[in-house]
Amino acid sequence: MDEPGVVAAFWVLTVTAVGSAVMVAAVRNLLHAVLFLVLSFVGVAGLYITLSADFVAVVQVLIYAGAIAVLMLFAIMLTPRAARDNADGIFWAPALVLAGLMATTIGLIATRTEWAVSDRGPFSQTASAIGEALLDPFVLPFEVASVVLVAAMIGAIVIVREE
Amino acid sequence: MPELRTEPLVVNFGPQHPSTHGVFRMRVVLDGERVVDVEMAMGYLHRSMEKLAEERTYTQNIPFTDRMDYLSAMTGNLAYCLAAEKLAGIEVPERAQYLRVIFAELQRIANHGMAIGIFLNDCGAWQTPVMYMLREREKVLDLFEMTCGARLTTNYMRIGGVSFDIPEEFMPQATALVEELPDRIAEYEGLLLENEILQARARDTGILPADLAIASSVSGPVLRSTGVAWDIRKADPYCVYDRMEFDIPVGYQGDNYDRLLVRMEEMRQSVRIIRQALEQLPPGPFKTDIPLALRPPVGEAYARIESPKGELGFYLVSDGSPTPYRFHVRSPSLLNLTPLKEMTVGQTVADLVVTLGSIDINLGEVDR
Amino acid sequence: MTPPGPLAPWYDFRDLSNAVERLLSWLSDIGPDWLVYVVSAVIGGTAIFLFVAATAVANIWVERRVVARIQVRRGPNRAGPWGLLQPIADMTKLMQKEALLPRAGDPVVFLLAPILAFGPALLVWGVFPFGKGMTFVDLNVGVLYIIAVTSVTTIVLFMAGWSSNNKYSLLGAIRVIAMLLSYEVPLVLALLGVVLFAGTMSLSGIVAWQHDMRIWLFLVQPLAFVIYFICATAEINRTPTDIAEAESEIVAGYHTEYSGIQFGLFYAVELVNAMALGAIAATLFFGGWWLFGLDRWIPGWMIFIGKVYLIYFLLIWLRGTLPRLRIDQLMAFAWKFLLPLALVNIMVGALEVLLWVEYDLSAGLVLPVFSVVNLSLAVLLVVGWMRFMAFPFHRLPSRARLVHDIPVVAPGAPAGGAA
Repeated sequence: MDEPGVVAAFWVLTVTAVGSAVMVAAVRNLLHAVLFLVLSFVGVAGLYITLSADFVAVVQVLIYAGAIAVLMLFAIMLTPRAARDNADGIFWAPALVLAGLMATTIGLIATRTEWAVSDRGPFSQTASAIGEALLDPFVLPFEVASVVLVAAMIGAIVIVREE
Repeated sequence: MPELRTEPLVVNFGPQHPSTHGVFRMRVVLDGERVVDVEMAMGYLHRSMEKLAEERTYTQNIPFTDRMDYLSAMTGNLAYCLAAEKLAGIEVPERAQYLRVIFAELQRIANHGMAIGIFLNDCGAWQTPVMYMLREREKVLDLFEMTCGARLTTNYMRIGGVSFDIPEEFMPQATALVEELPDRIAEYEGLLLENEILQARARDTGILPADLAIASSVSGPVLRSTGVAWDIRKADPYCVYDRMEFDIPVGYQGDNYDRLLVRMEEMRQSVRIIRQALEQLPPGPFKTDIPLALRPPVGEAYARIESPKGELGFYLVSDGSPTPYRFHVRSPSLLNLTPLKEMTVGQTVADLVVTLGSIDINLGEVDR
Repeated sequence: MTPPGPLAPWYDFRDLSNAVERLLSWLSDIGPDWLVYVVSAVIGGTAIFLFVAATAVANIWVERRVVARIQVRRGPNRAGPWGLLQPIADMTKLMQKEALLPRAGDPVVFLLAPILAFGPALLVWGVFPFGKGMTFVDLNVGVLYIIAVTSVTTIVLFMAGWSSNNKYSLLGAIRVIAMLLSYEVPLVLALLGVVLFAGTMSLSGIVAWQHDMRIWLFLVQPLAFVIYFICATAEINRTPTDIAEAESEIVAGYHTEYSGIQFGLFYAVELVNAMALGAIAATLFFGGWWLFGLDRWIPGWMIFIGKVYLIYFLLIWLRGTLPRLRIDQLMAFAWKFLLPLALVNIMVGALEVLLWVEYDLSAGLVLPVFSVVNLSLAVLLVVGWMRFMAFPFHRLPSRARLVHDIPVVAPGAPAGGAA
């Protein structure tokens, strides 16, 4: 994990992910904000790859950048005056204070905790491991999550249905 | 739940569009993909032919009639010459009448081939049916060129007959075409009409009820597709159509598919008429002599024919001078557009384009 | 089959990775590790990019000639012998045209969209096994990677449509998003059927499975192939599902406002995507570079490219002959027709794999049985579901009815002559 390539990749991906996240809040145009958010998602997917979590990385791109971003784009499209005034608002000062407080808290927690290093070793096939985990010990949360999603879909259809 | 405020989308299917069959503008109000309102704006191709025709003699006006409906020039010529002959009381020799029938029906085949092909182009089949149908249209246009020298703007009919007699190569080539055409039409029917995607696009879209069609003065294949059996060749025969055996194809409910069916079948009936006319073609003169500056007696005349687009009529008023006092065209494409809004409201944008294609308008005729 | 191994001479072009491996092993002797990594990445990336660019240019000619033949005409034959220089003429023309920018549009997004559209088209080619051992990156989740990368296209097309500030483009963008999202679901489920049998998501693993079992996955999962083909045709916006750029309705949909090389990029992306569809189908369903042992004489990558072009020909054939479906018909087709079929396919496939593994049957016995069962089930399901779901058009009349006599009406007579 300490090879120069991985470290370089980590820094590039971190700058991408964090930088685009900052730009999401800073740009004027809401559509540009969503596009920066997509870039941030892709950066996070890259970070997953540096952790050898290939399945999660690919699914991150598929779900977040492929579907959730589209949802946000549709929402923007249907909003009037969407392309302006993203960064204007009176709450930027308290937001900045709050964000700073949260960043400090999370940073302190992350650096001061004794993280135990697992002795398991990297997975060779994360997809099958995740699949087995979802269907053996975690089958109940899996099924409950699917029921929640089906309920959301049915709710959406009911709302949009023409009388 | 608070009221959602939605704004309808106003789109211009503007003068420049790949599918409006010319420079024709529709101002469409959309609700998502559904059409809420259609407003037509015409006149982009207005060349003031009716006014220009008042300055020219009756024979000089014949080329104008080519250029109105430029895809079926022969029938334009024919209608005008019939009106002028009615006005001036001129008799047309029999050979000329048979020749007129032959060329009008050949023009109908060419026009319908193009119309069906372009309709399928609007449906999305990238020019493949057009290319196939253009093979037969090319043969028809070769026959035209052989006879009168021009393929598109033929200027063939004259007041009192036709301008040229058919050359010797005409009969064998025409007979060969007439032999080959029914197989080709059967091939096109087999390839096109049973296609699931075409049926899904064309059935139950663009429905025109029969009473609305009659109330809107719609004529031609559009009227026949609604189930109304009305064809001027049979209802008010001109030239020698009363001696010909043919049927009129009639549709069922007036949707786009019925118009397609009617046009296909009309091609086949035209082949029948041409075959009979070629057999019965009598020898004789093909034109009567008329003075260069024809002065018809004072009066008015209206003559109508069944052009491939519908009832094409010419209303001529004469005041005794060599030029007409009034030259008015009852253009079928213009009147067929009357119920466009009723045919397309409530359907999607895709259906709007397909319906416009199936009415088969020609902007030269709409705007003159 | 005797694979060309390290003892094969470096010029054995049946396996192009042979020469590269020799170079890399020489480099690793003389240089640090990261140099080997960088050099292999550069060589692989350049090779794939050149291949993609070459096929994009060549396919302009292939597509136009084949479509022309279907349309009873010749196609371009003026620029060079048999029109072979036509793509160069096209590209030159597009490059020297002015690349317009709509004044009220969004300039950055407008310019980025064609470039970003080319990204997924190029990235997908990194995981295909062009031959034995000739994969740029052999990902463990290759199939899922392909699906993920092609789903990014949705956002890019929306970017293109929105930033043009044009109602036609907006209509095209909305249609495209709705369609792409709907067709992704049956596509994933169809590919899942393939993964069920092969047991791995890695593309070279799937080809190896087909090679070991001596059977094409197309025979074992025919319904999955049909569903995948239809869904992928919709994903890349080709006729009969090209409503997003339906020329006859919304001029050019999301790329109406693009001119010059920007439009050229969109056009190239469409061609490259079509080839990628062919490559995915060839790898997953038709054995990739393996053709029943033929790759001993013909190089594997030639077999692969041949299969890709055969499937591309199928795509061109569909484009030349079928009209276009309407957006609501397409949606209904995806959700009501393809999705249930894909679900049934997975259930049956999972049952079969379970039987195979539980009772430890031999592959030679079980796979032909599965093939026959799956083929007949596919035919039955498609025909049966179609009978159930589709409107019975064949019961409606498909010829006009003929009327012989109508009463003669002189003009000016009172109305009443029409039947």
